[in-house]
Amino acid sequence: MRTSPWHNAALWVALLIALVWTLLPLYWVLKFAFETSGEIALFPPPLFPPHPQPGAFYAIFGWPYKLASGTVLLPSGQAGQIMTGLRNSLIVAVVVTAITLIVVVPLAYVFARLEFRHRNKLLSAVLLAVSSPPVSTLIPFYALYVQLDLVNTLTGLIIVTLTITIPFVTWMLIGFFRNLPPVERLARIDGFSRAYTFARIMVPLGRGGIAVAAGIAFLFSWNEYVYAQVLVTGSGAVTLPAAMSGFLFQDPEPSHLAATLWLALLPPFLLCFFLQKHIGEMNLVDPVR
Amino acid sequence: MSDVSAIRTARARPMTEMSNLRFALVVALPVLVFLILVVVYPLVYALWMSVENIQFFGGYQTEFVGLDNYRDVLRDKEFWHSAWISIRFTVESVALTLVIAVALALLLNRPMRGRGLVRSLLILPWAMSPYGTGIIFFYLVRGQTGIGTAIAAAFGSADTINFLNRDLVIEVLAVGNAWNMAPLVAFFLLANMTTIPRRLYDLAAIDQMSALEQFRHVTFPPLRFTLFVFTCITTVMSLKMFDYVYTFTRGGPGDASAVLTYQLYKVSFQDLNLGYGAAMSFFLLALILGSTLLLYLAWGRREVS
Repeated sequence: MRTSPWHNAALWVALLIALVWTLLPLYWVLKFAFETSGEIALFPPPLFPPHPQPGAFYAIFGWPYKLASGTVLLPSGQAGQIMTGLRNSLIVAVVVTAITLIVVVPLAYVFARLEFRHRNKLLSAVLLAVSSPPVSTLIPFYALYVQLDLVNTLTGLIIVTLTITIPFVTWMLIGFFRNLPPVERLARIDGFSRAYTFARIMVPLGRGGIAVAAGIAFLFSWNEYVYAQVLVTGSGAVTLPAAMSGFLFQDPEPSHLAATLWLALLPPFLLCFFLQKHIGEMNLVDPVR
Repeated sequence: MSDVSAIRTARARPMTEMSNLRFALVVALPVLVFLILVVVYPLVYALWMSVENIQFFGGYQTEFVGLDNYRDVLRDKEFWHSAWISIRFTVESVALTLVIAVALALLLNRPMRGRGLVRSLLILPWAMSPYGTGIIFFYLVRGQTGIGTAIAAAFGSADTINFLNRDLVIEVLAVGNAWNMAPLVAFFLLANMTTIPRRLYDLAAIDQMSALEQFRHVTFPPLRFTLFVFTCITTVMSLKMFDYVYTFTRGGPGDASAVLTYQLYKVSFQDLNLGYGAAMSFFLLALILGSTLLLYLAWGRREVS
């Protein structure tokens, strides 16, 4: 590795650009959480919150907050929904991620590494499932769920979400498994069964890709809004994105919305922080061909 | 190593061999059956709606109208306008997403201090829901609350800088969408880069390759299949995108950013023209399947072999 000063400077500039690109849009709205409605409406908009205070966070947890000026910010009427939503979203996302991984990792391995007839046809069938746009299947889904008594249940939401995560994550992982060195041929020569080779050799070898897949499945589910809006809004099974929409349309309150967005970013951030440790240098030797 | 004992037991066990196809079917069939059960029913239902004229006003009633809805969609100027907007939005989104994702992945693959934190920060846009992304970009680019106006004010100008105008709105939508999706692609590329053997880079150094040559000949080839897959995935995701457009521009200004999904929402949920909306949704489905098929024929076929 060359480490000339120019090289280092270029790296720092690139890093700076990447961070500004990523964080500036987030900052711009998340700063609302520390402003009052009056400050948000200021024109021209201030670059920094004039008097930062955590009132909006108190509000979404259902507590009042007293400003230095003596004004009391009232708790949000949505607080109950937000807390239920947070809990439900966590349940749905964890269950969906677990099921997705159990199903998808073997599936992607099979499509990536084994030669068999009809492979491309089976693969296309999996992709077909993600092609139907949610807007067009919303009404039929709702009708189906009414008959099956799945409206306003977490189970119903988990089933719908799986139809999104399974196909997408399968497709993503196939490319990853294809790149792994074909060590399983050696294992097969040594006489291991397919299932054993998969569980004890391919899964540990592919844990970087599997970690990313887990994060992606979690986030697809954590952020699913269109189905949630129709299937669980206003019920005890409401999820965070659906609960959040109350701030936007019924009672516009940008500071509460921003505080909830902060709250919604926290679990994925923590998850990604732990998962990314598995994306390490694998120190693979040259592939055996 | 504890693996040794495991190897012995595995050897001692009599092998029951399966063919590749059978092993594949054991793994794939339950999933396919599940997907078909959950996805096919709504599709068939939508198919039924698309050949009916469904009325709510003056009592719920349906009337079989055959292919009339499909014919009407093809004659609908708004449909063609929306289809064109969807295609423009998708092409721009996908191109931007891939370029940014490759750049991010190359950067993240560098050894540096605090890499774990940098990685966790750079994935944040993907942690934001499309719904939230729409809200964020709405406040970011709008003249009244936008960053353009704030920066202009900081330099002493009283202008209102509004990016949400008819000419730019689709490009702004695409930028926001790329902001949201790029980390998803970047992290998969990153995971793929770690499977490239270190020694290939040492060999490249011996050959005195420039950084560009090294990227072209060592880093890029193993990523090609993944790039193809993600071109498909981001295309499908962009064509299907609804919640983001809904919270960001609401199809506006006017109908300048009314993508097909938004048009569908308007027809089905605001005008309650369910049969017509269902027919339109099959054109969208055809567009999605058509573009993935085209991508496969033009590019993917060469990568799969």
